[in-house]
Amino acid sequence: MALDAKIPGGPIAEKWDRHRFELKLVNPANKRKFNVIVVGTGLAGGSASATLAELGYNVKTFCIQDSPRRAHSIAAQGGINAAKNYPNDGDSIWRLFYDTVKGGDFRAREANVYRLAQVSNDIIDQCVAQGIPFARDYGGLLDNRSFGGAQVSRTFYARGQTGQQLLLGAYSALMRQVAAGKVQMFPRREMLDVVLVDGHAKGIVVRNMINGAVERHAADAVVLCTGGYGNVFFLSTNAMASNVTAAFRAYKKGAFFANPCFTQIHPTCIPVHGTFQSKLTLMSESLRNDGRVWVPKNPGDKRTPEQIPEADRDYYLENKYPSFGNLVPRDVASRNAKEQCDMGKGVGETGQAVYLDFADAIHRDGRDVIAKKYGNLFQMYEKITADDPYQTPMMIYPAIHYTMGGLWVDYNLMSNVPGLFVLGEANFSDHGANRLGASALMQGLADGYFVLPYTIGGYLAGTAKADVTTGHKAFDESEKQVTGRIDRLMSIDGKRTVDDFHKTLGRIMWEYCGMARNNEGLGMARGMIQELRAEFWENVRVPGNAADFNQSLERAGRVADFLEFGELMIVDALARQESCGGHFNERFETEEHEALRDDDNFCHAAAWEHSGDGREPEFHKEPLVFENVKLTQRSYK
Amino acid sequence: MNWITSTLGSSIGKKLLMAITGFSFCGFLAAHLAGNLTIYGGKDAFNGYAEHLHALGPLLTVAELVLLSFFLVHVITGLILYLQNLKARPVRYAVNKTAGGRTFGSATMPYTGALLLAFIVFHLLNFSFVDKTNTTIFNIVSSAFSSPVYVVIYILAMVVAAVHVSHGFWSTFQTVGANHPKYMPLIQTVGIAFAVVVGIGFGFLPIYIFLLA
Amino acid sequence: MTKTINLTLKVWRQNGPKNKGRFDTYHAENISTDMSFLEMLDVVNDQLTIDGKEPIAFDHDCREGICGQCGCVVNGRPHGAEKGTTLCQLHMRHFDNGDTIAIEPFRAMAFNVIKDLAVDRSALDKIIQAGGYVSVNTGGAQDANAILVPQEVADLAMDAAQCIGCGACVASCPNASAMLFTSAKVSQLALLPQGKPEAAKRAINMVRTMDELGFGNCSNERECEAECPKEISITNIARLNREYFKAGFFS
Ligand SMILES: Cc1cc2nc3c(=O)[nH]c(=O)nc-3n(C[C@H](O)[C@H](O)[C@H](O)COP(=O)(O)OP(=O)(O)OC[C@H]3O[C@@H](n4cnc5c(N)ncnc54)[C@H](O)[C@@H]3O)c2cc1C
Ligand code: SF4
Ligand code: FES
Repeated sequence: MALDAKIPGGPIAEKWDRHRFELKLVNPANKRKFNVIVVGTGLAGGSASATLAELGYNVKTFCIQDSPRRAHSIAAQGGINAAKNYPNDGDSIWRLFYDTVKGGDFRAREANVYRLAQVSNDIIDQCVAQGIPFARDYGGLLDNRSFGGAQVSRTFYARGQTGQQLLLGAYSALMRQVAAGKVQMFPRREMLDVVLVDGHAKGIVVRNMINGAVERHAADAVVLCTGGYGNVFFLSTNAMASNVTAAFRAYKKGAFFANPCFTQIHPTCIPVHGTFQSKLTLMSESLRNDGRVWVPKNPGDKRTPEQIPEADRDYYLENKYPSFGNLVPRDVASRNAKEQCDMGKGVGETGQAVYLDFADAIHRDGRDVIAKKYGNLFQMYEKITADDPYQTPMMIYPAIHYTMGGLWVDYNLMSNVPGLFVLGEANFSDHGANRLGASALMQGLADGYFVLPYTIGGYLAGTAKADVTTGHKAFDESEKQVTGRIDRLMSIDGKRTVDDFHKTLGRIMWEYCGMARNNEGLGMARGMIQELRAEFWENVRVPGNAADFNQSLERAGRVADFLEFGELMIVDALARQESCGGHFNERFETEEHEALRDDDNFCHAAAWEHSGDGREPEFHKEPLVFENVKLTQRSYK
Repeated sequence: MNWITSTLGSSIGKKLLMAITGFSFCGFLAAHLAGNLTIYGGKDAFNGYAEHLHALGPLLTVAELVLLSFFLVHVITGLILYLQNLKARPVRYAVNKTAGGRTFGSATMPYTGALLLAFIVFHLLNFSFVDKTNTTIFNIVSSAFSSPVYVVIYILAMVVAAVHVSHGFWSTFQTVGANHPKYMPLIQTVGIAFAVVVGIGFGFLPIYIFLLA
Repeated sequence: MTKTINLTLKVWRQNGPKNKGRFDTYHAENISTDMSFLEMLDVVNDQLTIDGKEPIAFDHDCREGICGQCGCVVNGRPHGAEKGTTLCQLHMRHFDNGDTIAIEPFRAMAFNVIKDLAVDRSALDKIIQAGGYVSVNTGGAQDANAILVPQEVADLAMDAAQCIGCGACVASCPNASAMLFTSAKVSQLALLPQGKPEAAKRAINMVRTMDELGFGNCSNERECEAECPKEISITNIARLNREYFKAGFFS
């Protein structure tokens, strides 16, 4: 079945305006009759909840953390893109659109990306109006920097804490609506199921993480803003509670999961240094603006970086990609780091790291200038590694960072399940096979502030209102299933901890479905995951009580889903017999070791439908049509 | 009037009350100290100062009433703060360490305050509410300070006062919002200096009189 | 250099808000000095789980010092003794072999213990609800560059805006006051032109709410500033005081 993305007609630049005009509106007085559930309070969920409430809808918002302000978006460092062209360096909506499509290796939907670029400017206006303290230049105007492979300076930032400031902006708007009584906030709740009535999403079932109570909530529409699934790799830059559970539960209820194998590896993270490690820390890639990446020319060179003279250093990115240098896109930078380490040129105790050196920049601009730009990042690095980047080069290595795949949505951000909308990192729509730096924040806020508030109106106005209460039998069934699963987890009483399973899964995924993949490895990994999953359900130990604050139980539920989802990623990776962006199958590479796409056969989004436990998921295809950007081989030479 | 009570009744309002009354006590202490210094001029100078003071008549009474009301505000507000703050942490830490913010002065405010309260009552009973018909203030003072017990009590009290002031002085500025990175170090230095002056200035008097006697 | 150490932990265990708590003693062995404090607790918890005991509940999420979800009192110091560091960023290299470490939850009347080291800090959200925002609806904002903000002002606002809402200021304050937290938000918005129209209302409402929630009264002890992982300065408290008096007496 070919999927209908409901892309409006007309020239790309007019699609969104036209669509907004054509969408049905909900009468202002009627908005208060509609209840909307928003799951997640990151940039996407926070902004959506606040905006829907401002419009007059009754909103119930849920998150895992103890406060909506702590959603994983808070950790984003580098910045947010917009096509403002304030620096007058030739940026435009069209260029941002073009860069994003090309950066995504032509696996994103043109119309969505164009809309994203269009509303990017409104986001900055909105955020400034909220009092977000973006960086300013001396004259008091907003400052911009170039970021992650862009040749224009279009990134707005607030020191190294842009995500924090944007999230606190959305959070404050949300708190305002909580105070106004338009949003009811439910923190420390984990969504464990979507409830469908007559095929429409009409509610959710959540677990109250304080006392273990399973609660039901009904609404006229459900909006999932539950973030990415990078933690399937155990070690990632994601927050500990980031999960696939919400999206995966929706998948099991019939929502299609698109491009699960598209994961992004971020090139500049602090390298792994022990088995006890619980997460990886990202060093903002803005560092690549001034830091130079290098490894020793000779494999096995064990000298300290200071002892290695210029002549013996290989600035491999600058040498290989003269025009982009250290600023090549993430996937390219990451793969090159891996390549160098595979050649034995990696540095540090494990040999799984490359240098990111600021000596030249400090020499050129002075320590103060560098400290002003990156002070907090340097400090963070020193805290973790006990090395001082002012004195000695940083060591970095790629790590899992972002997931482009997600629930399939149409142009309205609605999944194939009517009434179930998916926003932010949780959907698949805008970044194709690779995301450019500073564009996830943009997408989250675009979806929440400026897209969903219109499109949800179209759905609500265009659908006969059916009031469903939590007494409906669909809720009974869903709750039964949720409690059944919790009871099962509690009763296994095996020998291995949840984290132990998670770590094993993570190693399998990183090894076989990580930065580079091949068919044999993927095939093997699939079997390994199936075995691990079987063992999990027989041998995991979840201590404590279900009716209590029980963090092991929370994790067990998430890992159980990851154990199924990991297999879906592999199925998708195996089905996509090409390389593109973050999906690099070693069989398909150009002579320059770049990803080699197969546009004839794979210029599509792969959307997977659950067809019952233990059954092969069903494949659906959304063909991607490029009318405005010519398909080319990406080249950053 | 509601706005006054609601503004002053809040945590910041109470703090303002403490600051303003406390700071006026600093002013009072300075004036009191200046007056007391006349003792070094001898018996007549000191008695003369006392007479001048009393010659102010109703003005003095007004000043005393103001002082008394400030005093009551300071004590009562301080007590309320103490109790509320105690309540704000019902379960105490088993291990409690400072990160270097607190000073000895700040950490002991309620206790030095209580000691000062006791001392002031004692002081007034001794020197203010005594029958002065057949004697002069100088005689009262010198007879009191001929006893080493009195001397020790007064010296200790002045140390306590200095400790109290060491936190109170800069704190006033912080409370009224006058904390600028440029000036705060100076204010803090002046505060400590003032505390030392109060401590030594008042504390040395009993010793002086004791030695004189 | 990486090495391993052995520690004795005295950890506060409490089943729920209404239960009585107690200290239990655990031994953490072969702890790599490269671990973070929370990773050390992970190791202890793994062992507890294997031994059939209940692991220690503690809050955390980002593990990189920005979400503000982690935090407990380590040897009498919220987030431990390192300056400007959250608990998740505290590394075991700052401890010595053989150390005994007392671990307690943040304690304040406004923060109930949920379980063990996890506390309920929703009071901080309530303070923000009382006015920690600029009242602008989505859409219709003017061009971002139409509002000029001098760089120094933007920097000062950002200094205050860095607060992660962890509550360590409350935990460290001898009076359990939330002034540093409240002042950080009031300051950020009072400094910026966008926040000025509502400045008076905001200061009054946020302070009133803070008082009602049972936080203690600030008495300028400065522990918060010394302990704050984001090194938020008490000049923000002075600014809040100013804003509050301005609002209380002149608006
Ligand atoms: C370290 C780091 C740095 C980054 N830097 C940048 C950057 O500089 N620029 C940029 O553009 N992007 C950056 N990104 C990416 C970007 O931060 C994220 O993609 C984006 O914030 C995702 O936002 P979101 O709203 O979709 O989801 P999230 O912020 O992940 O929020 C998910 C929300 O869903 C809730 N939730 C999840 N599951 C459930 C459930 N089952 N039940 C209930 N609630 C649930 C969570 O509690 C949370 O509130 C960075 C990412 C990382 C990890
Ligand atoms: S002011 Fe500092 S200590 Fe207090 S909540 Fe904010 S970051 Fe934490
Ligand atoms: S876990 Fe996020 S700040 Fe420590």
